[in-house]
Amino acid sequence: MAFEENDVALDADQQMTADEEALLDELGIFGESRRKFLGQLGGVGLGALVLQVLAEEKALAFSDSETAYVAPAVENPVTVSFTVNGAKKSLELDSRMTLLDALRERLGLTGSKKGCDHGQCGACTVIIDGRRVLACLTLTAQCEAKSVTTIEGIAKGTDLHAIQTAFIKHDAFQCGFCTPGQICSAVALMQEAKNGEASYLTANVRQKTGALQLSDDEIRERMSGNLCRCGAYPNIVAAIREAHTGKATDPMAISQMEVHDATV
Amino acid sequence: MASDTKVIGEAISRIDGLLKVTGAANYGMDWPIRNVAYAFIVKSTIAAGTITDIDTAAAEKSPGVIAVITHKNATKVVAYDPMRGIGILQDNKINFYGQNVAVLVAETFEQARAAARSIKVSYQNADSKTDFEKCVAEAVRPANRNDAVRGDFDAAFNAAEHKVDATYSTPIEHHHPMEPHSAIAVWEGDNLTLYSATQVVGGVQRGVATAFGLKPEQVHIISPHVGGGFGSKGGAWTNVILAAMAAKVVNRPVKLAVTRQNMFNSVGLRQQNRQHLRVAATAEGKLSALGHDTTQFTTTTNEFAESCGILATMMYEVPNSRVGYKSAAMNVIAPTFQRGPGESTGSFALESAIDEMAYALKMDPVEFRIKNEPPKDLSNNKPWSSRATVECLKRGAEMIGWKNRKPEPRQNRNGDNLVGYGVASGSYPSRQSPTSTLLKLARKGDDVTASVELAASDIGTGAHTIIAQTAAETLGLPMSKVAVKIGDSALPPAAGSVGSIGAASFCNSVADACNQAKTELQAKTDRKWLIAPTVAQLMDAASLNEYQTRVDAKAPADAAKYSSHAFNANFSEVWVNELTGMVRVHRHVAVTGAGRIMNAKTARSQVIGGCVWGIGMALTEESIMDPRWGNFITRSFADYHIPANLDVGTIDVAFIPEEDQFVNKLGIKGIGEVGIVGVAAAIANAVFNATGKRVRDLPITPDKLL
Amino acid sequence: MRPFKFTQAADAGSAVQAVSFNAGAKFIAGGSNLLDLMKEGVENPTELVDITRLNLTQIKSAGGGVSIGALAKNTDTANHPLIRQDYPLLTQAILAGASAQIRNMATNGGNLLQRTRCSYFYDVAMQCNKREPGTGCAAIGGINRNHAIFGASDKCIAVNPSDMSVALAALDAVVKVRGADGKERSIPFTDFHRLPGDAPEKDNNLQHGELITSIELPKSNFASHSYYLKVRDRASYAFALVSVAAALELSGGKIKQARIAMGGVAHKPWRATEAEKVLIGKAATEENFKAAADAAMKSAKPLEYNKFKIELGKRAIVLALRRATGKA
Ligand SMILES: Cc1cc2nc3c(=O)[nH]c(=O)nc-3n(C[C@H](O)[C@H](O)[C@H](O)COP(=O)(O)OP(=O)(O)OC[C@H]3O[C@@H](n4cnc5c(N)ncnc54)[C@H](O)[C@@H]3O)c2cc1C
Ligand code: SF4
Ligand code: FES
Ligand code: FES
Repeated sequence: MAFEENDVALDADQQMTADEEALLDELGIFGESRRKFLGQLGGVGLGALVLQVLAEEKALAFSDSETAYVAPAVENPVTVSFTVNGAKKSLELDSRMTLLDALRERLGLTGSKKGCDHGQCGACTVIIDGRRVLACLTLTAQCEAKSVTTIEGIAKGTDLHAIQTAFIKHDAFQCGFCTPGQICSAVALMQEAKNGEASYLTANVRQKTGALQLSDDEIRERMSGNLCRCGAYPNIVAAIREAHTGKATDPMAISQMEVHDATV
Repeated sequence: MASDTKVIGEAISRIDGLLKVTGAANYGMDWPIRNVAYAFIVKSTIAAGTITDIDTAAAEKSPGVIAVITHKNATKVVAYDPMRGIGILQDNKINFYGQNVAVLVAETFEQARAAARSIKVSYQNADSKTDFEKCVAEAVRPANRNDAVRGDFDAAFNAAEHKVDATYSTPIEHHHPMEPHSAIAVWEGDNLTLYSATQVVGGVQRGVATAFGLKPEQVHIISPHVGGGFGSKGGAWTNVILAAMAAKVVNRPVKLAVTRQNMFNSVGLRQQNRQHLRVAATAEGKLSALGHDTTQFTTTTNEFAESCGILATMMYEVPNSRVGYKSAAMNVIAPTFQRGPGESTGSFALESAIDEMAYALKMDPVEFRIKNEPPKDLSNNKPWSSRATVECLKRGAEMIGWKNRKPEPRQNRNGDNLVGYGVASGSYPSRQSPTSTLLKLARKGDDVTASVELAASDIGTGAHTIIAQTAAETLGLPMSKVAVKIGDSALPPAAGSVGSIGAASFCNSVADACNQAKTELQAKTDRKWLIAPTVAQLMDAASLNEYQTRVDAKAPADAAKYSSHAFNANFSEVWVNELTGMVRVHRHVAVTGAGRIMNAKTARSQVIGGCVWGIGMALTEESIMDPRWGNFITRSFADYHIPANLDVGTIDVAFIPEEDQFVNKLGIKGIGEVGIVGVAAAIANAVFNATGKRVRDLPITPDKLL
Repeated sequence: MRPFKFTQAADAGSAVQAVSFNAGAKFIAGGSNLLDLMKEGVENPTELVDITRLNLTQIKSAGGGVSIGALAKNTDTANHPLIRQDYPLLTQAILAGASAQIRNMATNGGNLLQRTRCSYFYDVAMQCNKREPGTGCAAIGGINRNHAIFGASDKCIAVNPSDMSVALAALDAVVKVRGADGKERSIPFTDFHRLPGDAPEKDNNLQHGELITSIELPKSNFASHSYYLKVRDRASYAFALVSVAAALELSGGKIKQARIAMGGVAHKPWRATEAEKVLIGKAATEENFKAAADAAMKSAKPLEYNKFKIELGKRAIVLALRRATGKA
């Protein structure tokens, strides 16, 4: 079966159902960006998306989110003002509340996942001031004036991040539960590579480097803080490689024998 | 355009992909429910005995605490399931370490967790069985399990010239789906809604309804996305019951997630197995006898046995064989199904022993397997519906570069590493289970959209997508005109995503519904067609803008006449650091004959996932119980090592094209389970080829290769 | 987690004061170890003093060596040009630990003070002298595969889990701390962590309230011949079974100076001074590496489940030395 960029070409001009139109209108996706958005879906129909977004999100979404939230009395309240996905937030909360719980339980940002709550899986990975960190081991109280990016803030409006489109194309997830963490991690990884940061697999850390071109094993090592129980690792690596190099690859290809550089 | 709709089998990206890469997919704990309270479970710190007292006074006074529920004040519920239902606070008995003894509800999660620590439980200890080494001595044949016997094993084995007699051990393993088990429970009068990710929507509904004495339709399960299950989300474990109970007690919605630490003794496990293999063959390489005796444990309250020996009954042409089981009751949480239940652990033993036999005979292990290929299923004398073992072996050998393998160990090197190649074959049965589908069609002019609705589940297998593909192709609609609604108990009942029955059960039912709709529409009009009409034309002819139909599909009657399995071959190239003993799966090849592949992309991913699971089984995963108390000392993700990204090298996947007309109408065999079968053996065999060390005790950690 | 008061420290002085005068107070830096333990109920501070905003993040040349701020992040330390160039051993050791996310959170001071990963210590239902002095040690007589082969006591057999500390021990670092009196004192790295003895609750020789301000690295001639090797049960994101920091100064084909430290084998990063002695003055050959490895392990006292660490330790030393000298 021949591979094409968007494996099953989606006819962006095709007629959409009223539901689909309504959803895209709702999301504010019009004109050219609508075409682009559909293209990014990599041939995926909007059908299920519409149904699920309508059924899952709208029916139950907090219409008034944290504004209507009555904080239960807590013993050591702290007030924290910080930025989440570009929006200023100010919360009064229990000093014990982790950033992960604040995002999920107070700000309705449930994309970041709690896989272990102890720093051992990476599912809660978010980006704070440009660096990937674990939200489950970060006290919200320590986030005063910081800028937090979660999975919900990775796409620029309707423009998916290259990592997100590559994840869809390379099927870099199965159940999808680790995916928000993987994507936040991968987005930050791209910057780390640009900065020339070393990893344990870097052959000679003394060598000064500019932007790095990462080998597959380098990607593997640098992504090892994000566990995936479904075992999507090879596809995660393929997706990151594609976004990192900018070279499109066939998600179905059988590998050439490649030489690994791991000196583990 | 007709060509647009040939989508079955294509490598189409998941239709739920966008939701998953943007964080919009809702898993069990993600639903924005108002006014929730948070629950936290307290666990027993003894393995057997009784609770003599629970002091909850301090906890009750703790800030934010709304209720503390113990066996003294728990809502009466029915013990609904001897496997999953132990620990619903109905009495003071303790059967295993880490059994639920209390659940505490507070305004915030922090308050609940903090208060839980102040609950003091006093126990009367009873004798406990927590040492596998001691318990195996008392193991007996389970009541419902006779030996599977063919020919005269003892005579043939004793008389044979070439034999292997070895024992293989596999440890306790935990499923550890990335999404811990959880539920948000919301009562409205006597009706209960549970937002809870599950592999079997109907199973959880029935379990909970039984427990609370409700009619199934009073319990509504919502589970569109499941963060992995691997067997552990097959039914209602105690956490779901306790969430519902807590919500009832505090009369408001309750959120309850099992902590990762508590996943070790809350939602089942794969039990420890000790497998004794005896293999005999002629000098020419024909198997003459095969004995496979498994000793394992089960919990004190429920008999559960993994069928480790099942492959020994049907994988090879061997005239004399005997396969048996012994089981010992232990004070451990109930074992349950885990990916490739029986076949995965069983294939480690069987396929290692086959490798040992081939080595003893100085035969190539691929050839040895091909030489002993059975013409039919000798365990029941049924013909195979199809069997691709030989093609899998041949194709895999080509893909891995089997010719680079040296028959003798320690002949291949690369720097500090010894390089080795290993092979194993495997299989897993194929079945279709009853599944109903509701199909709704809506038409505006020439434009038809379909909504396909069934209480199926998508645990990462790609069910959403293959259901859409089936409907799109059968109805002749583009994918974007098909909406899929699953994961909701209000929808028509469907099989679970368990035992690799999902794809066959869902897709055959969906195809039936679509075909039935076309037939019914045709019957409503007497218009004749020169070329097959589109659904739009049919609806137009019948003057309908909306139409719906429902089927209750089940396996074809003839399917039982055949032995239907998916078959595979795994090939592994490992690099073993000669000094440190660290093993790396450098490259792994999995070739599978699984009938019709519904989506080449998601199928490939599932097989890759199976390989990664096999890597974990072979190299990293082990739950260790302290025999003194029965507690797990590997009680976190830092101690229980599921493979990390760097553990996994290149994985290449291929499918042997198969058109199986007997297994079910669409010829689907299922791939989720077979994907793990044989992987650990291929790796262990490769480690032997690399190092000359035969590790019969998984996992192969560095210390075992020094 | 027990409720605690959260205090943002404005400067080092007030941070030290705040903790010194409250027995229940602790500093919090990256939080990656402390919060984990607080959630487990192992640590139960009543006040947390956040020190992450203190001006102790610089990494700079000092006295021929380098001074590393206690609050600099592990990632920034590992990637600092001065460290990469002159102390690649430290870069490697840091990067061998945890994950990218955790290294972005972890501070150098916090890394030195991370507590053991003994699973009985982590489980508050178990007896543990380190967590609750006098209750006994569940690991002795338990599953002690991950425990010490050097310097253990009959009170505690735990190991220190830090990778960074192993390199710092090899490099003869000095830890600078500031006490309640406002004075700084310097603690040589090998005296910083303790053996368990009769007081396993004490991991190190800091007084309550003392703040680590920096870690001083002396001038090093090891930059071109060093290697940090970590052997573990999974390829990444796992603690060491055994690790080795090896550093040699070669001159005229001979080993002029040798440093070998080991992780995963003792309650503190373990300097293998016997092995170092064997190497000095010798050629960098496989034979000499093996002799050094044997010497390093001579005094090892294994437990029921960790006998393998002796052989593994030897091999790890040989391999680390090979790689330090570019022979593998
Ligand atoms: C899953 C996981 C895996 C890990 N794997 C590894 C590994 O492989 N190798 C490894 O080395 N580490 C590993 N770590 C540990 C990690 O490196 C430490 O958690 C981290 O270095 C601690 O730094 P921190 O700044 O977060 O410390 P915190 O958690 O903030 O503090 C730790 C302790 O140090 C005290 N403290 C902090 N700074 C100071 C100071 N300046 N002066 C005085 N006291 C101070 C605190 O009071 C606290 O008691 C792992 C951690 C996790 C969660
Ligand atoms: S070894 Fe030390 S830390 Fe572990 S249980 Fe014993 S006393 Fe506690
Ligand atoms: S939830 Fe934070 S690392 Fe697992
Ligand atoms: S996709 Fe399921 S855990 Fe990664």
